[in-house]
Amino acid sequence: MTNHWIDLKNADCVLMMGANPAENHPISFKWVMRAKDNGATLIHVDPRFTRTSAKVDIYCPMRSGSDIAILGGMIKYILDKNLWFKEYVTNYTNASFVVGKDFGLKDGVFAGFDPKTGSYDQKKWAFELDADGEPVKDPTLQNPRCVFNLLKAHYARYDLKTVSSISGASEKDLVKVYDAYAATGKPDKSGTIMYAMGWTQHTVGVQNIRAMSIIQLLLGNMGVAGGGVNALRGEANVQGSTDQALLYHIIPGYLKAPLASLTTLADYNKANTPVSKDPKSANWWQNTPKYMASLLKSMWREPDLDTAYSYLPKLETLSAKGYSWLVMFDKMLQGQFKGFFAWGQNPACGGANSNKTREALSKLDWMVNVNIFENETGSFWKGPGMTPAAVKTEVFFLPCAVSYEKEGSISNSGRWMQWRYRGPKPLGDTKPDGDMIMLIMDKVREMYAKEGGAFPDPILNLYWDYEDDHGEFDPHRVAKVINGCFLKDVTIGDKTYKAGSQVPSFAMLQADGSTCSGNWIYCASYTDDGNMAARRSKEQTPMQAKIGLYPKWSWAWPVNRRIIYNRASVNAEGKPYAPEKAVVEWDGAKWVGDVPDGGWKPGDKHPFIMRPQGHGQLYGPGTADGPFPEYYEPLECPVSKHPFSKQLHNPTALQFSEEKKAVCDPRYPFVGTTYRVTEHWQTGLMTRYTPWLLEAEPQMFCEMSEELAKMRGIKNGDKVTVECQRGSLWAVAIVTKRLKPFKVDGQTVHLVGFPWHYGWIYPKNGGDSANILTPSVGDPNTGIPETKAFMVNVKKA
Amino acid sequence: MKVCRRDFLKLAGVATAGAAFGGLGIDLSPTAAQAQLLKTRWAKETTTVCCYCSVGCGLIVHTAKDGSGRAINIEGDPDHPINEGSLCAKGASLWQLAENDKRVMTPLYRAPYTDKWEPISWDYAIYSIAKRIKQTRDESFQKTNAKGQVVNRTEAMASVGSAALDNEECWLYQTFLRALGLVYIEHQARI
Amino acid sequence: MGKSFFIDLTRCTACRGCQVACKQWKKLPATETQNWGSHQNPVDLNFVTYKLVRFNELEDKGGLQWLFFPDQCRHCVEPPCKMMADSYDERAVIKDELTGAVIYTQFTKAIEGMTGEELCPYNIPRMDEKSGVWSKCDMCYDRVHNGLMPACVQSCPTGAMNFGDREEMIELANKRLEEAKKRYPEAALGNVDDVRVFFLFQKKPDLYHKWAVAEAGIPSAPLTRRSLLAGLGAPFRRA
Repeated sequence: MTNHWIDLKNADCVLMMGANPAENHPISFKWVMRAKDNGATLIHVDPRFTRTSAKVDIYCPMRSGSDIAILGGMIKYILDKNLWFKEYVTNYTNASFVVGKDFGLKDGVFAGFDPKTGSYDQKKWAFELDADGEPVKDPTLQNPRCVFNLLKAHYARYDLKTVSSISGASEKDLVKVYDAYAATGKPDKSGTIMYAMGWTQHTVGVQNIRAMSIIQLLLGNMGVAGGGVNALRGEANVQGSTDQALLYHIIPGYLKAPLASLTTLADYNKANTPVSKDPKSANWWQNTPKYMASLLKSMWREPDLDTAYSYLPKLETLSAKGYSWLVMFDKMLQGQFKGFFAWGQNPACGGANSNKTREALSKLDWMVNVNIFENETGSFWKGPGMTPAAVKTEVFFLPCAVSYEKEGSISNSGRWMQWRYRGPKPLGDTKPDGDMIMLIMDKVREMYAKEGGAFPDPILNLYWDYEDDHGEFDPHRVAKVINGCFLKDVTIGDKTYKAGSQVPSFAMLQADGSTCSGNWIYCASYTDDGNMAARRSKEQTPMQAKIGLYPKWSWAWPVNRRIIYNRASVNAEGKPYAPEKAVVEWDGAKWVGDVPDGGWKPGDKHPFIMRPQGHGQLYGPGTADGPFPEYYEPLECPVSKHPFSKQLHNPTALQFSEEKKAVCDPRYPFVGTTYRVTEHWQTGLMTRYTPWLLEAEPQMFCEMSEELAKMRGIKNGDKVTVECQRGSLWAVAIVTKRLKPFKVDGQTVHLVGFPWHYGWIYPKNGGDSANILTPSVGDPNTGIPETKAFMVNVKKA
Repeated sequence: MKVCRRDFLKLAGVATAGAAFGGLGIDLSPTAAQAQLLKTRWAKETTTVCCYCSVGCGLIVHTAKDGSGRAINIEGDPDHPINEGSLCAKGASLWQLAENDKRVMTPLYRAPYTDKWEPISWDYAIYSIAKRIKQTRDESFQKTNAKGQVVNRTEAMASVGSAALDNEECWLYQTFLRALGLVYIEHQARI
Repeated sequence: MGKSFFIDLTRCTACRGCQVACKQWKKLPATETQNWGSHQNPVDLNFVTYKLVRFNELEDKGGLQWLFFPDQCRHCVEPPCKMMADSYDERAVIKDELTGAVIYTQFTKAIEGMTGEELCPYNIPRMDEKSGVWSKCDMCYDRVHNGLMPACVQSCPTGAMNFGDREEMIELANKRLEEAKKRYPEAALGNVDDVRVFFLFQKKPDLYHKWAVAEAGIPSAPLTRRSLLAGLGAPFRRA
């Protein structure tokens, strides 16, 4: 989230699309309802009428997977009706940038496509550069090749009738949605988007979000109270675990994972440190060498930075086709891995294509499975279709403590780092995860110290001093290293920081190895003033109170900024565009309100400081699948063509060619989609064993329309079989008015949906995971699987 | 940590429910319901943040000071600015997550080609895991790639998890994995 | 005077925080359930389920609506169940004069040959087959006497569940009714004068649940034992 939960109340319009917040983020609705009380319009665009839809002003049903049609239609609507925020768009976005002549779109495919690799040469999308290497700009927006005019041309095809015909949303509903949302383009109005896996879990996931980002920039909704692009993250600490880089492509603080081709730290820094000659561009990533050096020092204080860099494992590519989830399990099936950690996660139910995942686990020599409860991953060898006597994999199950039996912090969707305390001690012989990691590494280090082995240096030289006085894992010690400290006396300006003292903020981090910081974006979270995440003061200024900012309650990254890009909420004089809900304001001498995106005087810097040129990107040449979102069908879909181009699917989608996909396949005529309910969570491991929650949602179900049920002779409460090319499962039919068939290009398309909360291990009559049905295809940028739109059949069991 | 819980309601002159019905000799809990308040009054109070979705709701955990030392009640923290004491079904059920007889209480081992779990000690588990990590790493370690570039990695081990860990554990876990040379590192954020 | 709940159904999202918070505070066990083609579970109130969110779909010319009804004891001002129970054992059902909470005790097992709907115009109490004891919501009188909200009210995120001094709650209910009528012309309050748990409905109460309001005062209804009971108070009122 660029903003935070309480901030939802400041919106004049709340668009919920690709999300079901009333069910999956129920307490967000406290703030959504507050917005409504203040007069906001609530909109839900979703294939299903859910508990969210029940409370909104406008519900717009749409076929799963057609989001870009609807959002592209909104972009066209805003441009056609001149509803965009001109000063904001001209000054703060790249609307005026002139794109190079190589760029183009033909038959739904952008310039630079290589069909052999299924990827683009992004150089073809580059801006036209001036003598300084900066993009040529036309602030009058007249140049036919400036971003603004290319945007207009691109979405000229996305008219109401066409959008309606492919999405199944009615023109009437679309106009209602567009009118209500586009009204937030007025300078003092704001609109917010709440999205979740309904947008990310598509082969056009990133482009769904890009399309909305374009809308938010056109309407001037970034950086303002009640605005922003707000991903509703699915897990309590999935923000934090991403920040800490438990992903192949990044290392902590969103630094890029090092590639093999970048053989030295200098190479790495050169490749990953953008340059801008525009004095008004803060170009924040120019600090990369400081953050990288501080990260390396947090892991290896000895011997030196270059050696520490060599210790980091190197990748061949950062593409999703290299090391991402679906590829990992594909390679596991091929026998590449001997050892596997399934630590606090249940991939046998959670990843797409569960049958493939489960079979892949049987190719391992050994697995370490950490969890609270017995689960489908650790016990895969006795699961459906498995013969234990034929499965070689040895499994170690380590039982962990629950969240309130240990101490540490988690980061919520609004980037608040909140400290949790220990209530009871870990039950029985269970342990906090931190203790297990520490104990295993202690033992590995001991073995390498004693026996030697393959390149022991990174292991033996690792800074590994995280034990408390009782020999237990000490989260405070780690939190301090994540923040970082001075490794020698360092003088910055007229102040000298003593070796050993905590670094007060990332502005003080150094590139020469004199500071360490395990994660630069968390620098300032645990300083010599103490643990900021543990703060519980509700003190606020009247200006902060107006928009619900609590700067002394917990801590938010970066540097306790609660609304990021907030310099975009003011004009060049530092005056807020929305004075009634100002985020920051220049009072003539300093900024007041939130922590600004840099303390420079108003007008001195462009507001989008993380971009090399400082501008919000209407045109995004950095994605794998095109600088403008373009409409494509899901890789499994009920149509053989769509009206926007001849290109049916995203040509760059991550897929495994030998796995068949159902496109207009009469055996699998219905669109399937997966989701969650309030009463369960993820694969259900942490809720299926909870009797009160199981009581409320006890079994796997399949929701379907009355029309589909009639056609298949299914009655409410009947057991049904849902099947696709990858597998089948049983579910209890919930026949409901809340699902309706769609009219798509003149044809009737039915959609069915099911939760992915169940698994064969417990409860015994609960059913199995909906991911048995989902395909191993993914977004080309992120690799996130397309589990929100695929094709199935449903019949009475 | 400071817990400063608001009193919502004032009922002058009455401290406990017992006083209202004192001396009637009546059991006010016809079902298995327990008189919770007396227990929570003598319990240790700690704050926590919900472990389910990412809203980050605050809760108060009451832990018995005597006997079991177990949690006896968990409810929303009225002081927390996001949830202001409220909770959804999952948050409200949090007590049952820890106080749950289905929890696995000791490390388990499944030997190749067998059909059962056997309980093992932590020492044995940690030793055995460390041994396998070392052996796999030693056998598979790549100093350089096909182009001769230094890569210092192993492609024979992979990891998934976890957004269920605390920040400090996540950071330590990535340090552990990357120091070993793993490149196949993924978790919930990817799906 | 005493206390009252005001439940604004236009704000309920059926997150079921209340349903679980009730069980959590009272450590009531879960019942074994099956999916029966609905998200509502348990199917009905039972001896260990005092609070249940009921789900109903409705489609009319106003479009599709999904109605949620967090059902519980209404804590009648003049509880008919107490009048009935008194004839068996005066200790069976007691009233907390300070809050107005109607509380069932172990002596409810003296009540014989009655059904929930005979005891109560809202069909709330449930009997344990084994012990013959009856149970239902007790207004979390233990919490209320100690300055805390009832568990269900504290858990509610959206302001659907409200609790406080009766006058305040009536005032809040009337204010919300006026607002709700702008969007839902059929909006109405149920049985405010008779009960301490009154609902703001956006559609006709019987679309939420057969027993959402007492029948008394509805002229077409036959004189059943249920309406007779309800007649002990004032009729259902459409403000």
